Amino acid sequence: MDGSPADTAQDPVAEELGADDPEAIAARDQAWTKGLLAVRADAVGSRWVRALRWVVLAIVVVVLAIMARNIATHGLAYFLQTIVYGLGSGSLYALIALGYTMVYGIIELINFAHADVVTIGGFISLTMVTAFGFKEGVVNGPLVLIALVLITAATMLLCGLLNITIERVAYRPLRNAPRVSPLITAAGMSFVLEGLMFLWKGPVNNHYPDLIPAGSVTLLGTTVRIKDALVVLLAVVLVLALDTFVNASKLGKAMRATAQDRDAASLMGIDINRTIAATFFIGAMLAGAGGTAYGLYFGNIVFDLGFATGLIAFTAAVLGGIGNIRGAALGGLCIGMFEAFWNSYFLSEWTQVMIFVILTMVLLFRPAGLLGMRVPDRT
Amino acid sequence: MRLSRLKALALPVAAVFATVACGGGGTSGGGSNKGTIVLASDYPASGGEASTGIPEQQAVAFAVSQHQTIKGFNIVYKPFDDAINGVHDPQKGAQNATTMAGDSSILAMVGPNNSNVAKAMIPILAPVPLVMLSPANTNECLTKSFPYCNPAPSELRKGSTNNYFRIAGTDDVQGPAMAVYAYQTLKLTNVAVFSDNETFGKGVADNFQKKWVALGGKVAVRNDYDAKNTSDFKTYINSAKAGGAQGVYIGATTGNKPCIFKAQMKGILDVPLLGPDGFALDPQCLKDAGDNAANIYGTTAGSDPVAGKDPGAAATIAAYSKVYTKSTDIATYTFQSYDCAILLLDAISRAIDTAGGNKPTRAQVRDAVAATKNFKGITGTWTFDQNGDITTPVFSYYQSDPGNTADSGWKYISSQGVASS
Repeated sequence: MDGSPADTAQDPVAEELGADDPEAIAARDQAWTKGLLAVRADAVGSRWVRALRWVVLAIVVVVLAIMARNIATHGLAYFLQTIVYGLGSGSLYALIALGYTMVYGIIELINFAHADVVTIGGFISLTMVTAFGFKEGVVNGPLVLIALVLITAATMLLCGLLNITIERVAYRPLRNAPRVSPLITAAGMSFVLEGLMFLWKGPVNNHYPDLIPAGSVTLLGTTVRIKDALVVLLAVVLVLALDTFVNASKLGKAMRATAQDRDAASLMGIDINRTIAATFFIGAMLAGAGGTAYGLYFGNIVFDLGFATGLIAFTAAVLGGIGNIRGAALGGLCIGMFEAFWNSYFLSEWTQVMIFVILTMVLLFRPAGLLGMRVPDRT
Repeated sequence: MRLSRLKALALPVAAVFATVACGGGGTSGGGSNKGTIVLASDYPASGGEASTGIPEQQAVAFAVSQHQTIKGFNIVYKPFDDAINGVHDPQKGAQNATTMAGDSSILAMVGPNNSNVAKAMIPILAPVPLVMLSPANTNECLTKSFPYCNPAPSELRKGSTNNYFRIAGTDDVQGPAMAVYAYQTLKLTNVAVFSDNETFGKGVADNFQKKWVALGGKVAVRNDYDAKNTSDFKTYINSAKAGGAQGVYIGATTGNKPCIFKAQMKGILDVPLLGPDGFALDPQCLKDAGDNAANIYGTTAGSDPVAGKDPGAAATIAAYSKVYTKSTDIATYTFQSYDCAILLLDAISRAIDTAGGNKPTRAQVRDAVAATKNFKGITGTWTFDQNGDITTPVFSYYQSDPGNTADSGWKYISSQGVASS
């Protein structure tokens, strides 16, 4: 359609509007063209997205093919060993990711300070281990395992109390503020915690004594040390316990209700403050266990560990579907496994990049994450 | 944001060290006071690398305390800390360089300790021109032009006359020196090679690998890790094990976790860790490795002054040890740092003569350093070539000796001179 004012005589709509109103016609034509362009842009956009998906898929196939070839050349034992190590670090990521996902699920806050609570957990348990006089390199016997269980429990409790305090001081006063405010407080809290740890232990790597007995089982050329088994066991037990707790207990029900609709939950007589505090407490308990396991498993701990680890753990939570407890566990496991495989079969300079490429690809196909997100329903 | 927060933490720490170190080099005496000349230094003085950096600073402070005035000028020592977050940081080094460039009383600088920091400082200080003398930088591309050097030494200096000198040997010799030792003395034939992917670490690992392959050795696996994001090294260890490695060479500095790598090797791959001066002789490395600290071999790009028979050196070391009494007060490049300081003070003295007894210009000090011939320090005798390198590099081999507290846990094995390439 030609919309120049000279042609208004042939334009039926122009007749309707009145031929003497060329301004209105021009405005209408302009709007119409704009709409057309927008529609076309949309069509182009979706075509692009579709093409991009195919490209992404092609890349994935190529990478998998190369990996398959590399796996074939390296043999089965190497493959299985990589899985063992991937499970180990994946379990730790899962433990840390749970804290992110629980807090996000209930108050839609990315708790940046969470990974620093993990680090504090490591520091607390390291201090206790040192105070109890446990030394590595000597046979400590089964007593050490009992002591470690007690130390881990104490660390979990202390981390829980710390996180409740953080929630009370830094997040609760901002509960009804614009969402960006608590986000900034969370980032600030992360800096405060890292600063305190810097003052406490200094900027050096702190060696964490290797106290787990050195036994191992070898099967199909793959060695599983007690350490590797314990860290996975710890994660599995805690994830199952948490899942059962959230699904079966009264407090768990309250947490789910609060996550779904805080106001309605409040009307039903649920103490919102207490429920949210409980969420922080439980998330931090897992963080305390994660920090202790991190120290024992990797043998060192440093004050700013939370930054890199937290980023990966949060990524894991998003990958699994934020707010979804099983999703976080799965996401952590996936990332740990992926990292192990990439380091084992490709050049590790690319590992970090590839983790985020994977995340982007997964979100492109499943925007809600692997198992779907569960976030508060708000209109 | 992270950076500025850490800076905020690092600054008070640096200030404390500055106060302490300045106290050591007090300027009480004077005679006819013609003014003050400041000798600066740039080392990682906080965090994990302070175990190397603080003794290096103490050595400079000690040298200045022996030369409080030169030809009527008061000599003052001003240390700078280039560590952020416990690790040497090129950006912090560049910031220090800018501060130094703006302080006209500073006529020379000792340091830095790390090659990537030097790479950031040279372009700022070459045009000024402030002379730098490093006891520890070993990356060959800082002075020598190879096809793989980016930037080439001349680009790094932005067309200015060379202001950068060092008394350490270079990695195109240090990496190969360990390759020869591992092949001929340790009788290894298959080694895994890793690096922290930094200027220094990757460079020395590449040079090790080249020589290793040339000798007929097998490389089990080669990988470069991202130190900031890696705390789990087990997959790397597994790949080394699968390749049949009898040893692991890691080109890295202590802060980039090579010795945590060694700790995690426990029970999976019990073979020696080999490496450069980035962690050799460093007590922090032994702490990181925990109860798996035995069986680490390292090179340093200098001779061992303590093991030497020179009576002059022994007297200086005894005098230093009287002031700094702990066993950890002597670390990797402590006495090389002392040598750099006295060499620069000697050059300043010669430059004062050139200036007719007046305060010399920075260019005059730089030219005096370049003209140094057969200067006798306690770790060697130094003459610089046209690149700023010494004509007679020496490498020393050390082995970890974690049980022994008397020698900070490292045992001297031998030294070896190599022809400069």
